[in-house]
Amino acid sequence: MSFMALAPLLAVVAGALAALLLEAFLKRKDHEMSATAAVLSLLAAGFFIVRSWGLEIGYFGGRLTLDPLALLLMAVFVVVAAFVILMSLVYAPRRDINLGQLCGLLLLAVAGLMIMVSSTDWLVVFLGLEVLSVASYALTGLRRNDRASSEAAAKYFLMGSFAGAFFVFGLALLFGTSGALGFAASLRGGSASSGLPAASAAGLGLIIAAFFFKIAIAPFHMWAPDVYEGAPTPVTAFLTIAPKAAGLAVLFRVLAPLLDRDVAASMLGPAVSVAAVLTMFWGNLAALKQKSVKRLLAYSAIAHSGYLLIAIVAGDGPGLVFYVIAYLFMNAGAFGVLAAVSGQGVERTSLADFAGLGRRHPWLAASLTVFLLSLAGFPPTAGFLAKFYVFSAAVAKGHVLLVVAAVLASLISVGYYLKVIVVMYMQDAASETSLEQNDPALWLVIFLCLFGVVQLGVWPGNLLTLIRQALTGF
Amino acid sequence: MSNLIASIPIVSIVTFLPLAGAILLVFIRAGSARTVRTVALSVSLLTFAASLALFFGFDGASGLPESVERASWLGRGLDYHVGVDGISLFLVLLAAFLTPLALLSSWRAIDDRVKEFSLFMLLLETGMIGVFVSMNLFLFYVFWEAMLIPMYFLIGIWGGRRRVYATMKFVLFTMFGSLLMLVAILVLHAAHYRATGSYSLTIADLAATSFAPGLQTWLFLAFALAFAVKVPLFPLHTWLPDAHVEAPTAGSVLLAAVLLKMGAYGFVRLGLPLFPQAAAAFAPALSILAVIGIIYGGLMALAQKDMKSLVAYSSVSHMGLIMLAVFSLNFEAMEGALYQMLNHGLSTGALFLCVGVLYERTHTRLIADYGGAAARMPVFAGLFLTAMLASAGLPGLNGFVGEILCFFGIFAANKVLAALAVSTVILSAAYLLWLYRRVMQGPLKDPGDTRLRDIGGRELACLVPVVVLIVFMGLFPGTFLKKMDAAVSRSIDAIKNKPAAAMTLDRAARPTARLER
Repeated sequence: MSFMALAPLLAVVAGALAALLLEAFLKRKDHEMSATAAVLSLLAAGFFIVRSWGLEIGYFGGRLTLDPLALLLMAVFVVVAAFVILMSLVYAPRRDINLGQLCGLLLLAVAGLMIMVSSTDWLVVFLGLEVLSVASYALTGLRRNDRASSEAAAKYFLMGSFAGAFFVFGLALLFGTSGALGFAASLRGGSASSGLPAASAAGLGLIIAAFFFKIAIAPFHMWAPDVYEGAPTPVTAFLTIAPKAAGLAVLFRVLAPLLDRDVAASMLGPAVSVAAVLTMFWGNLAALKQKSVKRLLAYSAIAHSGYLLIAIVAGDGPGLVFYVIAYLFMNAGAFGVLAAVSGQGVERTSLADFAGLGRRHPWLAASLTVFLLSLAGFPPTAGFLAKFYVFSAAVAKGHVLLVVAAVLASLISVGYYLKVIVVMYMQDAASETSLEQNDPALWLVIFLCLFGVVQLGVWPGNLLTLIRQALTGF
Repeated sequence: MSNLIASIPIVSIVTFLPLAGAILLVFIRAGSARTVRTVALSVSLLTFAASLALFFGFDGASGLPESVERASWLGRGLDYHVGVDGISLFLVLLAAFLTPLALLSSWRAIDDRVKEFSLFMLLLETGMIGVFVSMNLFLFYVFWEAMLIPMYFLIGIWGGRRRVYATMKFVLFTMFGSLLMLVAILVLHAAHYRATGSYSLTIADLAATSFAPGLQTWLFLAFALAFAVKVPLFPLHTWLPDAHVEAPTAGSVLLAAVLLKMGAYGFVRLGLPLFPQAAAAFAPALSILAVIGIIYGGLMALAQKDMKSLVAYSSVSHMGLIMLAVFSLNFEAMEGALYQMLNHGLSTGALFLCVGVLYERTHTRLIADYGGAAARMPVFAGLFLTAMLASAGLPGLNGFVGEILCFFGIFAANKVLAALAVSTVILSAAYLLWLYRRVMQGPLKDPGDTRLRDIGGRELACLVPVVVLIVFMGLFPGTFLKKMDAAVSRSIDAIKNKPAAAMTLDRAARPTARLER
């Protein structure tokens, strides 16, 4: 029990308040003060995360516990948020997005995410989920004079509320049958032979459905492409990575012990596997026919939820975390390039806008190529190793057919990732539109992502050992 | 002193020197095409020199891998583990030998984005060599897949009119096979752990482990699919004519000479030793496919109007013979197959270089557009003819040695298939000589055409080394075969003896056992 357990969360919340207040009171035209405050608070949060490593401290009677899984994911959130802020420094003002509001809301979302992953109590998780949701609805709609952005926000809000209702109803059923709010306590089997009581099973099913909504698992993913496409690009990068990682972590905490129990696993295992297969194929097949790179990446994000779900089926915590970290770099990088290509005012995200990019901006095109190859799972990139570990864990648990489905799905994905590369390198530009080149923060993000993708693909040694040692208990 | 030499990681140097060169190229200004070309060529020549050091330092008497380097990489059996034995050594040499020539051949043909081109060529070289030197299955897969990317770009950017279609087809076909192979690798990883209690993907460890017949069948099929696409075995060959025709000359050369060998090498190195029972069970079916490929490829080659697609179909036919020899599962056929892999690499590489020479002058590859070129290009005609006759298996040139060894082995295994396979000799003589007659002999198609200059310094430097090697390998096959013998007989013994549980036979005695035979 230590107050230190709250430090990362408090740092982020303080940053959020500071950013919002600075934005409101200083009335500066440039909102870089807010961004600075936000980045500083993220640094502070990162510092506290590192300090709490290995201590397993908790607060609120253990309802908030900083175990290794929580800390690793919190680090992921901090990095994503920092990337998103850096990506927005030039992007946001050009599109009449209030940078201060963006930073404040982003940090609130991060606070929600941190609450979600560091608790094993349903109610606390719900609290985190709602903080995250409210902030992300607002983030999606930040481009107020853009209809797509507003539509996306409305859609996200409606669907999110649905998911929230599912969650609460499921929780009511679980609490009603078991009288407990902890993950393990509420899911304790009635008797050893029959698995879960019927009401508990229904409640669990509803909660899982709610999470499937949040992390865009088919067939609950319908909102995702529109929201991802409509949201400002840096926000999309955030939405495709962070909430997904948090939702998967919670699912992992809930499902991994259940999947080890024979009776529950016989029902849950196939259900989750089917959802994973459906997601991978749906996402990848839909991405094949997209004309907009942003929407293509949106569907690719859905497909990656499917691969990540395999890690849960396999009960592979280290694999899940490694995949999330690899995915963070490759996806943030891809959206970073997207933000760099989309110019002033209008969003340039159609495939035609990428034609001839290899000639006009060789570095940008080369970076996007690396990110796409990593997303497709080519060695020697992070994406390959991530898939390798997850698939390898699944095969070791005997899910060979699931892995065969997954590799066939990734074969489909090669088709559309390479299509973007074809357009960049093998077609000539219709018009010679040159890009704004003075955005050092964005270059930094792309460079760091590039570094991450290559380093994790070739020599992930330390990180991998760290994750494996930290998560031996999972 | 000898300790010092032994401590040089020569295999890693050969593998990663091109990669280092590629990284160096990144920092050279794209504008100075000449510098870029020179740097790329020097790096590839250095790599070849290093591979020669590997060759001369290679003993080969034991049949065991030499110059082995091993380091822990990702844990759980995913090690960095490289080395060469008599089977892989020459394929490494082939790749290192042909890359500088391919770079040289595109000195003028590639004007656009020279820096990227040279970069991808060097990356491709690292990928190709890496596949052959890997002694760990994971490392093998990494190189196998990574190598696709540079080839994808080489065809897609510098290829012909239908390049995008061709390159996508190439990548998707190859990946379809290799992704299922990845699943098989994962299953092997898990199965080896279950069987022995330790993680390992070292090929030798896996070969020493016996797997249940049912499991073997599935695993073999997954591996075989990946390799059969690459070889390519009929009916999975359809990507090959497209890729060959659309690829730039340098791409075609390396594709035909080295990339196709990876499929056959995969069968020899992995398919047969890891799953001997399954391989034996499927050998008849695969042999029949190989024979169909031999005849079909030959007939298709006869019908082609485009020189490049003629050579491409001739590859289908020749690779069919190599596969038939591999599936004969005896010493002569295996050694013949390996020798023939090198021969095919050299002669088909040379043929693509020749087609490139003609194309650079006239910008057409249609046979009908040529005629009587020999009158204008006598030196070229001689080199072209030698490469062609080597491909057709004329005694005295390298193709003959390989083919005769293959036929000995195939005949011992199955007389009917051997009889059918011999048709390759007639067919290849027919389509190649007919090609030569139409293109090089007869009256000049257009006497006023001044474009057909004879070849000069750079092109000679490209073609002459290959042709010299073709003749040398035809006259002195022993130089090469004696370094292969021990490794091949080890490999064959291992395949034949694996069903017997006892794997503790005196390994050193086996090469002599072969000599007595």
